[in-house]
Amino acid sequence: MANGTWKIARNRSGAQLPIALLAALAIALILIGKAQNPIFDRARTTVTDWASPVLRIARAPLDGLDRWMGSIGEIFNVYQENLRLKDENARLRQWRNAAVALEDRVKRYQLLLRAVPDPKLSSVMARVIGRSNQPFLQTMILDAGKAQGVKPGQAVIDQRGMIGRIFLAGNYTSWVILLTDLNSRIPVNIEPGNAQAIMAGDNSGAPLLDLLSQRVVLKPGAQVVSSGDGGLLPPGLAIGTVVGNSVSGYRVVLLADPGASDDVNIVDFKLKTEQPPATTANELPATAAGLPPAAPPQPAPVAAPLVHAAAPVVKPPTALPASPPAKPSANAQEPPASDTGNE
Amino acid sequence: MEHAVNIMAGRFLSSIVPVTFGILGVVIANFPVSLLGGLVPPALLVFMPLYFWAMVRPDLMTPFWAFVLGILQDLLSGGPAGVWAAAFLAAYFLIDRQRDMLAGLSGVGAVAGFAVASLTACLTAYATVAIYYWHLPPAAPMLLQLAMTVLLYIPGVILLGFVHRRLVGPYRSDF
Repeated sequence: MANGTWKIARNRSGAQLPIALLAALAIALILIGKAQNPIFDRARTTVTDWASPVLRIARAPLDGLDRWMGSIGEIFNVYQENLRLKDENARLRQWRNAAVALEDRVKRYQLLLRAVPDPKLSSVMARVIGRSNQPFLQTMILDAGKAQGVKPGQAVIDQRGMIGRIFLAGNYTSWVILLTDLNSRIPVNIEPGNAQAIMAGDNSGAPLLDLLSQRVVLKPGAQVVSSGDGGLLPPGLAIGTVVGNSVSGYRVVLLADPGASDDVNIVDFKLKTEQPPATTANELPATAAGLPPAAPPQPAPVAAPLVHAAAPVVKPPTALPASPPAKPSANAQEPPASDTGNE
Repeated sequence: MEHAVNIMAGRFLSSIVPVTFGILGVVIANFPVSLLGGLVPPALLVFMPLYFWAMVRPDLMTPFWAFVLGILQDLLSGGPAGVWAAAFLAAYFLIDRQRDMLAGLSGVGAVAGFAVASLTACLTAYATVAIYYWHLPPAAPMLLQLAMTVLLYIPGVILLGFVHRRLVGPYRSDF
């Protein structure tokens, strides 16, 4: 350890000039990088594409060790955690029943109003093959890239909520910028009240909420979802819940846990969305109530064409869907579907 | 003739060892799997061989190699290009100016000297990132990284010293 024991080379080179020149080059690189030069990003994705087989192989044992080390602290409160989870599970079952009933009701209302239901979003499933917790960047690497249709800007979600966005896409790998990262800023809505805000990461576990209106007062526990403003992200992605107050500032406790997510979905907002399944005649309110279906529309009298053209024609509900063969609705037995397509 | 070839091979090996250790430090520190559950940022392993050989063999760890290792660190850590390159050059400048003093330190003093050089690099990186994003990043992760780096320097310098004695050796004209 004693540096004094080393016979050192004296400063014969005069390194001041090279240092100054290279420092100028480094500053130039920083400025070029700020101007979104893609050369460095391409090099980075090439390196991860090239290293992805190694990362896949190395990930399994190291991730197991990683999780074991991370859960050492949880051993001591496993009993309390079990009780808490049982209680939460009971409450979630009640919410599930309510959600199934409400989903059925919404479906009927949509049918009556001829509303277009929210389509499911296309998504690509990917495995997390690396996580990086640098002082100035929190990111993860996925094993899906351009070859699977992944593009920068797409949202990354797990079963619980949004994790982050793709910021670099290689051919077979992609880098995700986490919501907690210093560089992450996304528009969000806070429910109830539909308050709009920008959620900004600061490398802490709970991102900050920057409200667009200073007069809004939020309640702890309010739900935060993506607003979809700007067209970058799909609206309605679950993100987290509000904590804090107007004095100390609001923060968001995220639903998703990037440290525990192994499989994630990359939501493609720009792709053609999946069409929802057509509603069958048996799901119509009248049919479900045991009533005969409404009579088909009578042909309009030929003698009054002008009146017919001017008046809006309201078709009966039975004429709406191109119904496939009727089958009993099994939706009531399924868990509530989300808009994110992550189920 | 064979003896001359062996000498040449030995000199070549000794010249690539510092940079190879630097590259290894970058790769290991930026391997995207954490052994501590992501609680602590990875240590700045690349800075250990950089500091050590910039102090004892600046002819092998030149400012150019400090720049290259910084670029590699930027590339693999996912940060903006040039941040760690500038940080390592700032630290190199300090080492270059204070070489005699730093090389004369021993024991805790040697670790303190390394800590000062690491702090210079980390502060430069912090300031550069703050200007780059026009936003002050939290200092805690950087301080944790600095602490991890200084802590690991203690076993690290023993390994580097061993490698230096066995493979690199003192400056040729010092014989």
